[in-house]
Amino acid sequence: MESNENKLCEETYFNTFYLQHVQSASNFAYYKCGDSDSALDFVQDAFSKIWENCSKIDFTKAKSYLFTTINHLFLNKVKHAKVVMQYAKAVPYIDQTNESPEYILQEEEFKKKLQDAIALLTEAQREVFLLNRIEGKKYREIAELLGVSQKAVEKRMSGALKVLREHIENI
Amino acid sequence: MKNNNDILKWFDNELSEQEFLELKQTENLEILEKIAHYAKHMQAPEVDAQAALTAFRNRKLRKKSPKVITFNFNTVLKIAAILVVMLTSSYFLFFNNDVNFETEIAQTETLTLPDGSEVILNAASKLHYSKKEWQSNRLLDLDGEAFFKVQKGEKFTVNTSAGTVQVLGTQFNVKKRTGYFEVQCYEGLVAVNYNSKIVKLSPGKSFRVVDNTIQLVDDFKAEIPSWLQEESSFDNVPLGEVLKELQRQYSIIVTLQNVDESVLFKGAFTHKNLEIALKSITIPLDLNYKIEGKHVVLSKK
Repeated sequence: MESNENKLCEETYFNTFYLQHVQSASNFAYYKCGDSDSALDFVQDAFSKIWENCSKIDFTKAKSYLFTTINHLFLNKVKHAKVVMQYAKAVPYIDQTNESPEYILQEEEFKKKLQDAIALLTEAQREVFLLNRIEGKKYREIAELLGVSQKAVEKRMSGALKVLREHIENI
Repeated sequence: MKNNNDILKWFDNELSEQEFLELKQTENLEILEKIAHYAKHMQAPEVDAQAALTAFRNRKLRKKSPKVITFNFNTVLKIAAILVVMLTSSYFLFFNNDVNFETEIAQTETLTLPDGSEVILNAASKLHYSKKEWQSNRLLDLDGEAFFKVQKGEKFTVNTSAGTVQVLGTQFNVKKRTGYFEVQCYEGLVAVNYNSKIVKLSPGKSFRVVDNTIQLVDDFKAEIPSWLQEESSFDNVPLGEVLKELQRQYSIIVTLQNVDESVLFKGAFTHKNLEIALKSITIPLDLNYKIEGKHVVLSKK
């Protein structure tokens, strides 16, 4: 472990660390602000902070430091865009055997509704929901990442599901 | 409520197949299933990690170097030295039990010792004692001349380089000057230890040593030493010693021209007026004196 001390200050180690986490970090920032440019800005700023303070940060905690910093940077920025999540290309429908145009239309409509509903979530709910869904993270991992209790994550998740469900049912 | 928990577990992939089927029985999960499914296929904009890294590197950040305070042995030594100085000086300031008194030329001082005994210090004299040990051991160091009025009590000792004087409770005068040692007892009994010989003095008796020879001195009748009345009296004392005393009482330098120092002088001189004092010395010895500022020259008539 000692040999890893201040590894963050080594450029090669830092670059690896950067490449490893830049995508998930910018995803995280994007769930919050819904704008890819400012998301990347947050991420770059957060990495800058880590690099500048590399000697003070325990490299084992660098990842959670990264996410916490993004969170803080985001909170400092008051204005943010409506978060509209995009779907990956060629999303398989739930019933892959059903190819009737009616079914496809219905599903496409649902996807649109889901997008709208996600935009309605609070940041706290959305980041938990998306981290869980897109990144497939366990509540425990999310709690660790956000620096909150697992109970809080579960509460946000259940709130998110409630909002999504109500919104989609109502339309 | 249980359903809610199960739904949460389901999204967390913690629900078994069996439990999931049970949950499906009690609640319509169609929408949630769709939510779960389609949300999975959302994505955040992809980041070109390499490009982002290059952009990041172009920021030209400066590493904040941590403030490193190296363990500097010198600093520790400095602090230690300061501590030592502070501790010792405070010890001397607050726990100093050594008492020192010193009188200048033509100055006398009256002191009261911790037991109530009184000391009157004549001109150009030094006195030292320890407050801490005073209770158990009444011991003084004296260099010069002093008159003691000792309260009754334990042994009272005056230490001089010429000899030791021990009493119980009396009044006595000790004079220790270069080449001159004299103890006069005014009251009670005084024991003088000189060259490991003990001489006991009763009131009116004197013990005098001039240039290491013990001299026999006539009894005196005074009740207190003459110098307490601003006068120095001598009973057959060599002129040299008389003049030394004169120089102690007046800040002057006396030189002799063809005058023998060992001539014995019997008489007194005042501490108040130099002219009168010089006359009281020169007239009986049939000498002339001349005052030139701080210098006084004595010569044969």
